[in-house]
Amino acid sequence: MTGPLLEVKDLTVEFGPKRAPIRVVDGVSLTIHPGEAVGVVGESGSGKSITALSILRLVPEPPARVSGSVLFEGRDLMAVPKGQMHRIRGKEIGMIFQEPMSSLNPVMTIGDQIEEAILLHEKMSRAERRARVVDLLRLVGMPDPEQRLGAYPDQFSGGMRQRVMAAVAMACNPKLLIADEPTTALDVTIQAQVLALMLDIRKRFNSAIMLITHDLGVVAEVCERVVVMYAGHVFEEADTRTLFRDSRHPYTQGLLRSVPTLTSTQKRLHQIEGSVPPPGTITAGCPFRPRCSQRMDRCATEMPPLVTHGDGHRAACWATAPKAIAQGEAA
Amino acid sequence: MSETVAPTGGKPLDALAEREALAPEPGLGRTIGLVLFSRPSTIVATVVIALFIAIALLAPVIAPYDPLRQSLLQINKPPSWEHWLGTDQFGRDVLSRIIYGSRNSLIFGLLSPLLAAIAGTSLGVVAGYFGGIVDRVISRLIDTLMAFPELLLAILIAAALGGSFWNIVVVLTVAFTPGFARVARASTLAVKQEPYVEAAIASGVRTPLIIIRHVVPNILAPIVVLMTLWSASAIRIEATLSFLGIGTQPPNPSWGNIIRDGLNNMFATQMPIVSGGLAITIVVLAISLIGDAVRDVLDPEISR
Repeated sequence: MTGPLLEVKDLTVEFGPKRAPIRVVDGVSLTIHPGEAVGVVGESGSGKSITALSILRLVPEPPARVSGSVLFEGRDLMAVPKGQMHRIRGKEIGMIFQEPMSSLNPVMTIGDQIEEAILLHEKMSRAERRARVVDLLRLVGMPDPEQRLGAYPDQFSGGMRQRVMAAVAMACNPKLLIADEPTTALDVTIQAQVLALMLDIRKRFNSAIMLITHDLGVVAEVCERVVVMYAGHVFEEADTRTLFRDSRHPYTQGLLRSVPTLTSTQKRLHQIEGSVPPPGTITAGCPFRPRCSQRMDRCATEMPPLVTHGDGHRAACWATAPKAIAQGEAA
Repeated sequence: MSETVAPTGGKPLDALAEREALAPEPGLGRTIGLVLFSRPSTIVATVVIALFIAIALLAPVIAPYDPLRQSLLQINKPPSWEHWLGTDQFGRDVLSRIIYGSRNSLIFGLLSPLLAAIAGTSLGVVAGYFGGIVDRVISRLIDTLMAFPELLLAILIAAALGGSFWNIVVVLTVAFTPGFARVARASTLAVKQEPYVEAAIASGVRTPLIIIRHVVPNILAPIVVLMTLWSASAIRIEATLSFLGIGTQPPNPSWGNIIRDGLNNMFATQMPIVSGGLAITIVVLAISLIGDAVRDVLDPEISR
């Protein structure tokens, strides 16, 4: 197997004064291989969107301070001069945003918007570009693409706009597609269509997908591997099957119990007590500590490291870590 | 767990794609139609403005006399079949002077708001988009200019530079620029936060193109409204400057200096003052009415 496509190492994003920084992303590391679909799961405020934006260096610096490294095909994007990032954005890494209703320019036709992405990165004649736009629209399941090139975004429904967004993101055949909650603002039937579109894109373009979501069902549908984030930390990482069957982190276990199933007879859904601490309020130890059912004294002082539990399965929790490692770390 | 989402993987995409119809798009023609026919008064105002523009363009053809030709035998005549609006103290035909005067008034009314819109929008967009020190410098400059009323600023500059055509255009442009810059800056701050701007950056669009293609087209509506409203002000201020003697210089006619000349001669004939004043009133009123209609159509907050 070739090397990883994307390797994020120790990514940290801070806001606020240097003396008392607020860490929104704290030492996140993750790896995506070519053609792989990786889900990044977490509640609102877990830092998953900022992580995605940092990969494309879209987090404004200042006010933010970003450190760590983002290796894309072995090349550190953090070291690329700001003026050169536009060659990577759209061309090597495409991105789909959360809000299809407002992620398209309301005063440009959808044809022009897709064409813009091609124009920026490829040398093609106008006719070739138009042909490619039509192909892309057909690919994302837009009926009668030729007729709809000249339509404006407000003429489309949310699901259709998300398809247009996908066409923009895939315009230059990027090796990695980052989808930031692509289904959040859509109703359930349209969600299913957009997910089918993701799978289809992956199959046809052989692109890797980084799917950011808070919906474990979406992850189960699309992804091979899952990264669970909480308060700026990676809590657990495993292939999808392992994560759903044999989770080693109390937070992930809580999340999984909160998903309603068709067969369950319980009246109330399970919930994890409390809510995500606001960034900056927990400075030492594990940020999940106040809500955790298995908390120990040690959790108050030390953030547990990611401990390997099996092939590619890692979790950051003192309570579930193998005894030897937990004690070894302490010694 | 995967039963929580309906399985979709195997089906071809086309079967899933909704066969929804496109929502109708109100084109440019329909938008203009909305502006014109929203109220009867707007139709009248549009006809009036069209008439005045035609008069200004065709002045040499329709003016019965040379507006500068003096005649000692025809001084202070009341309206008659030869001179519909009478003559002034130099025996010049008032109607011809009003007709030629419309050229000066309308060209200022159109040109200076346009130039001010271009200058002000550029400054405002740059300030709003880049922020930081750029924004602070431009904003303080605008604040300084805004501290002076437009008219006072215009009088200051006109008095310093003199009253040639281009000087007055510059005067009015400078006087109007801050207003456009403020509006453009505020709108840019709002548009800059829009997800579509971030999405464009994420697809590799560079900053100059972001501004030209994604920011400016989305802030144009309030700028257009401001332009129509300030056309009226431009005509008013040009008339004021000419009336004060620092605008269009005699003997060239402009509605402002027709009134000024008439004032010195008020007791011999009232026609220059009355007709000059009426011309200004009618045009300014008509432009303001159109401006209101444009605002109502372009502003989504006001229901129609």
